Amino acid sequence: MKIKIKTNLWSGIVMGVFSIIMLLILPSQVRVPAFDSGAPSPRIIPGICLVGMLICSAALLIQSLVFKKEKEFEFDWAVEKPCILMILGLCVYTAMIIYLGFVIASVVIFPLLLVYCGERKPPIYIFTIAAGIGIFFLFKYVFHVSLPALPFLGG
Amino acid sequence: MGDMQMIIQAVGMVFSPINLAMIFGGLILGMIVGCIPGLSVTLGIILLLPLTYSFKSPDTAIIALLAVYVGGMYGGSISAITLNTPGTNSAIATTFDGYPLAKQGKVKKALDTSLFASTFGGLFSALLLLVCASFITKLVANFASVEYFSMAILGISLIAGVSGDSLPKGVLSGLLGILMASIGTDAITGVTRFSFGLDTLKFGIDMLPAMIALIALTQVVQKLRDFVISHGKLDDANKIDNEGLTVKEMRSIIPACTRSSAIASILGAMPGVGGGVAQFMCYNECRRASKHPEKFGKGSLEGIAAAESSNNAVVGSAMIPLLTLGIPGDGVTALLLGAFILHGIQPGPTMFTKQGVIAYSIILGCLVANLFLYPIGLLLTRAVAKIIQVRYTYLAPVIIMFCFAGAFAATGNTKELILVAAILVFSYVLVVLDISSTPLMLGMILADIMEMNFVTSMMSYDKDYLIFFKRPISCVILILTVILVISMLRINKKVEALNKAQLEEMMKEHEETGKPAEEPREKATDWAGLEKLDEAESSEENAARKDAKPKS
Repeated sequence: MKIKIKTNLWSGIVMGVFSIIMLLILPSQVRVPAFDSGAPSPRIIPGICLVGMLICSAALLIQSLVFKKEKEFEFDWAVEKPCILMILGLCVYTAMIIYLGFVIASVVIFPLLLVYCGERKPPIYIFTIAAGIGIFFLFKYVFHVSLPALPFLGG
Repeated sequence: MGDMQMIIQAVGMVFSPINLAMIFGGLILGMIVGCIPGLSVTLGIILLLPLTYSFKSPDTAIIALLAVYVGGMYGGSISAITLNTPGTNSAIATTFDGYPLAKQGKVKKALDTSLFASTFGGLFSALLLLVCASFITKLVANFASVEYFSMAILGISLIAGVSGDSLPKGVLSGLLGILMASIGTDAITGVTRFSFGLDTLKFGIDMLPAMIALIALTQVVQKLRDFVISHGKLDDANKIDNEGLTVKEMRSIIPACTRSSAIASILGAMPGVGGGVAQFMCYNECRRASKHPEKFGKGSLEGIAAAESSNNAVVGSAMIPLLTLGIPGDGVTALLLGAFILHGIQPGPTMFTKQGVIAYSIILGCLVANLFLYPIGLLLTRAVAKIIQVRYTYLAPVIIMFCFAGAFAATGNTKELILVAAILVFSYVLVVLDISSTPLMLGMILADIMEMNFVTSMMSYDKDYLIFFKRPISCVILILTVILVISMLRINKKVEALNKAQLEEMMKEHEETGKPAEEPREKATDWAGLEKLDEAESSEENAARKDAKPKS
């Protein structure tokens, strides 16, 4: 499956809609302080950014629709699938680190990743698992940072 | 304290055992990440950054990161010569002569030339940095918050203007970065901005997790994707022989090194021009000035010297605007600016008065790193070159683990991990929309400086929004911003055209001589878009990606 994405057009639409929504929710998301400290409103910088983004989005839409200046990105599912799956895998990895700890997450996720990559050599699996454990202890004892872990696993 | 006294103190600091060890380690790490196609100097810096938190002295941390930068610039040439695949996009021009020479069985000679030229270029620009830095800071010593704000606008505009081929997308990305940095509690008013009631967003988005997700993880994921598509095939690397560079040959390439270093130092000091751009101009100029232009593209030592001295010369000169004005010269120096801020150092005019010794120790550290590059390169290039042939499945999991552990180490809170995952997904959307993440990163880094100086100016001048135009220096900076963005866009287009013509010519020559040259891998692999590509267009990029036979 191959889809040609007109990046100027879609950037204009996506970022334009995003900036309009953010501008609409700006008053509720950034409250004005109860008393005047003499400082400018905390809304001013985000407000300028959002208006600027809206202008840039409009410029991109004009470039695409009026001047027909376009840059296409070919989204080939066969090429992009590994990327998307790996990003999803890393999201799962994040959740596992938080709930099960760094070592368990690393020992589970990376061998699966290696299987997906078509890796068949056992030493690579052993090295990866050892690296997960090694990095945990490196951070704990050398850098004095305790990575998330279950209580009975050094957490 | 005078400059000389500060330099003397800085010498003592740089030559402390810990700093020397850091330079040594940084150079090796840089050479490794630089030589692996698809990985970059930025990845090396990001991997090392969380580890530098445990360093007692901020100058040690910055020196270590600079050593990675220096080592990485040379490392890129190792794979360019042995595999015909540049390890970094700054080493594309090295393939033009490095690989043909390697195919003649003179790999060691090509590598030695590259090492000598890299050291020469690096030393040249580091000395320039040492001479210029104090002088420039004295010129801008009277800057107040209004001028600092205008300088921040100048910095972000230039990078946004020259990152990628679309100005609206560049500016949009930069503004998005500032917006992302504004999330969380406002330091002045205490108001929470765009937290959406989520605890994860209440304390804002830290720079380090954002850097890790936008740069490091995107590179690794993309490289793994290439690994999967190619089924892990490895290309054959040329074996390193024993015939090195002779003294006579060394002398013969000095004019090319000098010319190339001088041009690259000027280009590198201009914000937005990185080693990727400088190399082609230098290569072209050296070929024009050479007594043997016909040898270029067929294994000319001068050609390798021109390409390699230029990309290392950019390292020191890109530090000039960073240290003196607080404006990063390219993607890597933008990261270094982030590192400075994370370590409590504020680059800019006041750095040489408030933290002068640290400033000079960083400059001298850069100089020493370039000095050390030569012996370390001679000793370890052979070993580092073997890493190119290590399967990427060994490296990727370790890099990813370090990234997540490093992100967590930033604050010790699991919210950083959630942010990494979220920004990684967002980064992919940006790639699909062809929006460069360089201005975004810069926006995030400069946002705090920008807002702090904006608020200070407003409070000092009773909310007079026109003060930025009323104060002459600030007004000049803002006018310069507009002029520079327009002229840089024009220069950029010209340089791109020149690069494209140069590349096409070289490819043609390669084809004619029966030595097929690969498309520079970086064209297809610069997913994060951190180091600006010189000639990649989307259609070519997609075509190159389809044909990609990634190295691992």
